[in-house]
Amino acid sequence: MSQIKVVHYLNQFFAQVGGEEKANIPPEIKEGPVGPGMAFQAAFQDQAKIVATVLCGDSYFNEHTEESVDAVLEMIRTQKPDLVICGPAFNAGRYGVACGTVASAVKEKLGIPAVTGMYAENPGVDLFKSGVYIVPTRDSAVGMRDAVAAMVPLALKLARGESVGSSAEEGYIPMGIRKNFFETKRGSRRAVDMLLKKLAGEPFETEFPMPDFDRVPPNAAVVDMRKAKVALVTSGGIVPKGNPDRIESSSASKYGKYDLEGVTDLTAEEYETAHGGYDPTYANEDADRVLPVDMLREFEKEGKIGSLSRYFYSTVGNGTAVASSKKYAQEISKELVADGVSAVILTST
Amino acid sequence: MKLEVGYIPIRDIRFGPESKVDNNVLYVNKRELSALILADEGIASVALDLARPGESVRITPVKDVIEPRVKVSGTGGIFPGWCAKVRTVGEGKTHVLKGAAVVTTGKVVGFQEGIIDMSGEGAQYTPFSKLNSLVLVIQPKEGTESHAYEKSLRLAGLKTAEYLGKLAEHLEPEEVHTYETLSVTEGIKKYPELPRVGYVLMLQSQGLLHDTYVYGVDAKQTLPTLIGPTELMDGAIVSGNCVSACDKNTTYHHLNNPVVEDLFSEHGKALNFTGLIITNENVYLADKERSSDRTAELCAYLGLDGVIISQEGFGNPDADLIMNCRKIEAKGIRTVIITDEYAGQDGASQSLADADAAADAVVTGGNANMVIHLPAMDRVIGSIDRVDHIAGGWSGSLKEDGTITAELQVITGATNELGFNTLSAR
Amino acid sequence: MIITNNPLVRSTYENAHGVLFVEGNYRDVLVQVRDLVHRRHHLITHPMMGSLKPNETPYRSVIVSDEPQKNVDVDSVLIIEEAILVFDRFTKTARSDRGTGSTEKMKEDFREIDLSLLGSALNK
Repeated sequence: MSQIKVVHYLNQFFAQVGGEEKANIPPEIKEGPVGPGMAFQAAFQDQAKIVATVLCGDSYFNEHTEESVDAVLEMIRTQKPDLVICGPAFNAGRYGVACGTVASAVKEKLGIPAVTGMYAENPGVDLFKSGVYIVPTRDSAVGMRDAVAAMVPLALKLARGESVGSSAEEGYIPMGIRKNFFETKRGSRRAVDMLLKKLAGEPFETEFPMPDFDRVPPNAAVVDMRKAKVALVTSGGIVPKGNPDRIESSSASKYGKYDLEGVTDLTAEEYETAHGGYDPTYANEDADRVLPVDMLREFEKEGKIGSLSRYFYSTVGNGTAVASSKKYAQEISKELVADGVSAVILTST
Repeated sequence: MKLEVGYIPIRDIRFGPESKVDNNVLYVNKRELSALILADEGIASVALDLARPGESVRITPVKDVIEPRVKVSGTGGIFPGWCAKVRTVGEGKTHVLKGAAVVTTGKVVGFQEGIIDMSGEGAQYTPFSKLNSLVLVIQPKEGTESHAYEKSLRLAGLKTAEYLGKLAEHLEPEEVHTYETLSVTEGIKKYPELPRVGYVLMLQSQGLLHDTYVYGVDAKQTLPTLIGPTELMDGAIVSGNCVSACDKNTTYHHLNNPVVEDLFSEHGKALNFTGLIITNENVYLADKERSSDRTAELCAYLGLDGVIISQEGFGNPDADLIMNCRKIEAKGIRTVIITDEYAGQDGASQSLADADAAADAVVTGGNANMVIHLPAMDRVIGSIDRVDHIAGGWSGSLKEDGTITAELQVITGATNELGFNTLSAR
Repeated sequence: MIITNNPLVRSTYENAHGVLFVEGNYRDVLVQVRDLVHRRHHLITHPMMGSLKPNETPYRSVIVSDEPQKNVDVDSVLIIEEAILVFDRFTKTARSDRGTGSTEKMKEDFREIDLSLLGSALNK
């Protein structure tokens, strides 16, 4: 069997081109393995050869996704590989999304198997786990060696066209696709055995993991809106023109707090959206469409609400990890409570 | 309550001049049985047919499957409330024609459910492909209203099972299984160290083709209550529902409830099978609250440590299942639930219609949306053009050559939520 | 109050109960119920009654409280929103258009089943 040909996809950082300042570079191709590709090559030994490395800046990829995918696919196609490896992306959100996108496109458009790796909380996981083999990794490059060790056997299987077993057996994140099969024992027997284990405090495995709910019980209604101080919070990315805090267009790593003192209306000269996940035209024209400051000022004047809170909070919800969102919300709510806010209008897109 | 269940194994079924069991072969006198069935004026005609394991036979649309049994001793008779008076059963001796079944078919509504293939790809998904079956194809009198027709069909099946069951009354069983339920106090005395385990059996109870009967009472009307596990073995619970074919419990399932059997097999060893609670799955939201509250109360009242909950159906019943699970867990009683899934043909959709973090121990009967390909069969008993209209079928399901491409849903008993089968999903 | 697109339900109950007839499909009924629930009506029956999946029958009937109540019932909101999600899930992926694509005779049967399921809730 001829040696397996592999193309490796990396971002600007792992491809050793540069850090955040180089996140805007378009796709390019280099010969042979680069950076972590060396570790993969060593692990493959002579079973597979990384013939080329395709790299792209994370910002560029996320802001010009379609063109980037086309360019990357073309570069990969010319190499005629048996397999594509992306990342691993660890906990880097934009990189994870890029890896997932490339792996997915490679599979669908070129019919070539692909595998990637990322940390369980990387937003790329939820977006791509059902269509792409994602091997779970640690949350930073400290876990590179383990990631390579976990990804290589699965990669070789995929390249050889061998059948891939269940997620538990092969070490990838469960794809959430239910497959029927016959057990040896009937369901009622499995139920009795499971209950006995559960009663004895022994570990047992459920046959159907419940989806993660995180249901938040709603608060009581505001008693009198006419006396309420209302705050505006948005994940629609509305920021002062120029995005002074550099909130990312996706996988935001921060939120901004902005002063509305004296502001009755958001104009195109003073405000814009940083969100990369929707057509910004209308929000840039009039940011009130996403953050209704003008309406709330009217309500304030008419006495429909007590007052509009002085500060608004904004982040970008596009591909932002649930853990990050939780963190921002906790911090923001502390300040809102301290400011005497009794109701929040939360807008999203 | 102690019940001895004796099995008379049946290895073949034939028509003959006299109805009897001889050398493990079940013989049926067509004329006599037909006359018995036609005594119901609502029935215009009945055709009797036979289906044996391995034959190239397809039965559709299946309404119910019933096992022939007879009460040899003990109070009451099989199928109390229907064939026998309503005296409490579950005690004494009962004989079973094991390996035989009565299958009823009849077009109650246009989209009638259920296929049983006796061989081929479909046979592995239904336990009924392994039985020697007498199939009743029943036509109602012109103008008969659906409810009345459903009832006629149901009674015809039960009467036939009773008629055949009687043939076993004086025979010597080859196997005898003994089941004993102790009273609460006896149980505590005898097994003080064993975990107290109960079984909550949810019965479908929503309306036409969605009903279940307990001692002849419509389960919609009952409050959750205790019932002896052995009472099920004498037919205290009878099926009136057949939508959807894959996860509805036939009367055969009720007679052979696998959770009851498996709990009994551990009774006195790893656990104390304390009791069985039946509850319903009504559409009225207040009924759901009432039933789940009461069920949880009964579990706590019995001092249970753990409970297995099985359901029937999908959608609305998922809400009951989760309510029961949540409320019982809230009382500090551990649960395992048995359900099936509708995860879409690609297996990627959310499987249940309701969910809760409390349901951390789940056994599944499989994804009912899985697409299967059934080969053509030489013979079809019943009516084939129903397939397009069965849940899980679609326009073009039934091909010219007799093959069927449809979802697993169409097969009777395929994803049974009592845990009857070995099918599962991950 | 009964929200339904089933003409058989309308004719059977319009004199005894308030019937809001929806000229539309199953989903339209769910959406109408959702709107009412948001306007403080409480759900009386479960919108997913019966074991026929949403893509398998064209008819749906749901009972809500006759009048808007003092407060919105959060459980009702969750149930009806979930029901719509489930509906969309089933109609998007399933190949069966048995609901709307069925023959007139079958539609008659579906009307009857829906009526019977509803009746079980009303006969209280």
